[in-house]
Amino acid sequence: MPVAQVQGLSKRFGAVQALRDVDVVVEQGCTGLVGSNGAGKSTLIKLLLGLIAPDSGQAVVLGHDVATDPLAVRAGVGYLPEGPCLPGDVTAADFVAFMAQLGGLPPRQARERASEICYQVGLEEERYRAIGGFSTGMQQRVKLAAALVHDPRLLLLDEPTDGMDPQGREDMLDLILRVRAELGVDVLVSTHLLGDVERVCDRVVMVHAGRVLLQGSIAEAAGTTAPGYGVQLGDGGPEVQAALAAAGLEVRPAGAELHVRSPDPGGFPGTREARSPEAHEARSPQAREARSPQAREARSPQAREARSPQAREAADVIRDVAVDHGWPLRRLAPRAPSLEETFLRLQAAVSAPAAGPRAGSDGPPAQPVRPWGAEVPERTGRGVRR
Amino acid sequence: MTEMQAGAIYDRGYRHYDGPREGRSRRMRAIVTAGVRRCLGLKRNWKTKVVPFALLVGAFGPVFAFIGIRLLVGESVGQFLGYGRYLGVVALVLLLFAATAGPELLCPDRRQHVLALVFTRPVTRADYLAAKLAALLLVIGLVALVPLVVLFVGNTLTAPRAATYLREHAGDFGRILFAGGVLTVFYSTVSLAVASLTERRSLATAGLLGTFLASTVVANIIFFTATSFPGRRWLTFLALQGLPGRFVEWVFGTAAPPGSMAAEAGFTGPAYLAALAVLSALGLALLAWRISRLQP
Repeated sequence: MPVAQVQGLSKRFGAVQALRDVDVVVEQGCTGLVGSNGAGKSTLIKLLLGLIAPDSGQAVVLGHDVATDPLAVRAGVGYLPEGPCLPGDVTAADFVAFMAQLGGLPPRQARERASEICYQVGLEEERYRAIGGFSTGMQQRVKLAAALVHDPRLLLLDEPTDGMDPQGREDMLDLILRVRAELGVDVLVSTHLLGDVERVCDRVVMVHAGRVLLQGSIAEAAGTTAPGYGVQLGDGGPEVQAALAAAGLEVRPAGAELHVRSPDPGGFPGTREARSPEAHEARSPQAREARSPQAREARSPQAREARSPQAREAADVIRDVAVDHGWPLRRLAPRAPSLEETFLRLQAAVSAPAAGPRAGSDGPPAQPVRPWGAEVPERTGRGVRR
Repeated sequence: MTEMQAGAIYDRGYRHYDGPREGRSRRMRAIVTAGVRRCLGLKRNWKTKVVPFALLVGAFGPVFAFIGIRLLVGESVGQFLGYGRYLGVVALVLLLFAATAGPELLCPDRRQHVLALVFTRPVTRADYLAAKLAALLLVIGLVALVPLVVLFVGNTLTAPRAATYLREHAGDFGRILFAGGVLTVFYSTVSLAVASLTERRSLATAGLLGTFLASTVVANIIFFTATSFPGRRWLTFLALQGLPGRFVEWVFGTAAPPGSMAAEAGFTGPAYLAALAVLSALGLALLAWRISRLQP
């Protein structure tokens, strides 16, 4: 049973359409709500909490309709808001105990539970200090403690690693994993950091410009993008990138190598031209020898099996470009597509045809991307028919 | 012999809470308690205690001093500190207390975005408003009501015959509760209403003090300079700081000083009570409207 379900939800703030006819199902487990800044993530979370009213649509959280029974929803939900929201001159223990009492705990139990939760999130003796003197990481821990202290069934975390240093970020992600593993609390994490989602979530909902691009498991989400290659070709500079792009490949510098893949999983426009007879003739024995051992390793039977037909064609094109220009191909290793690549591809697919409706703008509606992993509901008025 | 383990630390991990849960009243009481503590600077650093406790000393000091003198000197000290006169003496303390406590209660929640957390619990805006108002009523009542009750008890206990004093001054106790209660409601609602207009404590404090003091000064100036203005007696209702004083004079049966604006205006006590009630209702309406528009 889903912990939260949203159907046809729309919300407008003045001229800004924050959410546009959104359908989302949050299953049990840890779900990442991913999107760039202004995509509508925080608005969706506030709608789930009943803090703001939607213009249309319906949201059901923990079996309660948010519009008709918001207090029951909030009783079962813990929320970690984005940005500062803590009183500076109160101790962490006092504030978390106060939040526990707002969750209905009697004073003595609230103090005990606050102390216990502060300890669990890593606030030991610091909990007796005023929050105003805390670092960003410690303040995030206080917020997490406040969200957890009344023992919610669902945790809504809005940018939980925002502003934290790498170590603090790791600690926070570990805490989220512990909360999920030890308490079994379902978690919805809103973030624009896809690495965080890959680390802690088992499902993802991608939003852009107030629309849902995709929702499903992390593995399924990554699988919607064609696999690519990590390539070290020539000096990897602009000339090399331009040549690969001219051959119809998507190229993205990534440190010492280039991430290269076919732009369209269903076809490969540049392949035919790049594999012209002339190009094949240019494959001299010397050029073949210029390929590195890593490149040969990448052509191993196991690696080949791991590649899709499109990916194999991309590998051919990369080799052709290397031969055509006489650049040494030092590395050609297959790599699985990341969540980030999937998100960027879907974002571009939605943004490009609509010629400009960006997040928050009120332009013509972009072509919706079909969510996979579930049937697309057929809308009938306010309701939804499956 | 088995070696005894002196102690061990266990990481019990996260645990579910399976203890008792209380309802709406607990949540409201939590906000009231936190509000009272906040106004008085309790559980916070010493700097936050300076202003409220200085004002409390200003409110209770004369009472305890008078009771002490009566204990030492006896009945001969008389009734120089009457209940009505006492309220007149602490009127400024009451205004200062309201001007600092109201903003302290409301402004930081918005300025520090604490509402983003409070309203994600099962707390409605009406609960929040009622709890904040209750907290301020308790705190203002501490200045407007409690010192007079203490004075009454002190007068009773130091009287030659306590029972006789009680019998003869039972009406005073009712007047104390009535006058103190009305002033508590008036200052609380108006203070919170002004505080709801801004996120900054200092602005709210300055705004409330400025409005009360400036309106009184301006109304007096106009009243005594524009003597030909036919409706000038109504200006007495614009002198906000004077309204509680006029009301208290009526309750305790004392007269306005001769030649003052109130004496020349000629309104009776109920008119001032009505003015205080109207201002309180307006303040409450403004407060409710502002709280209903709060965006966490």
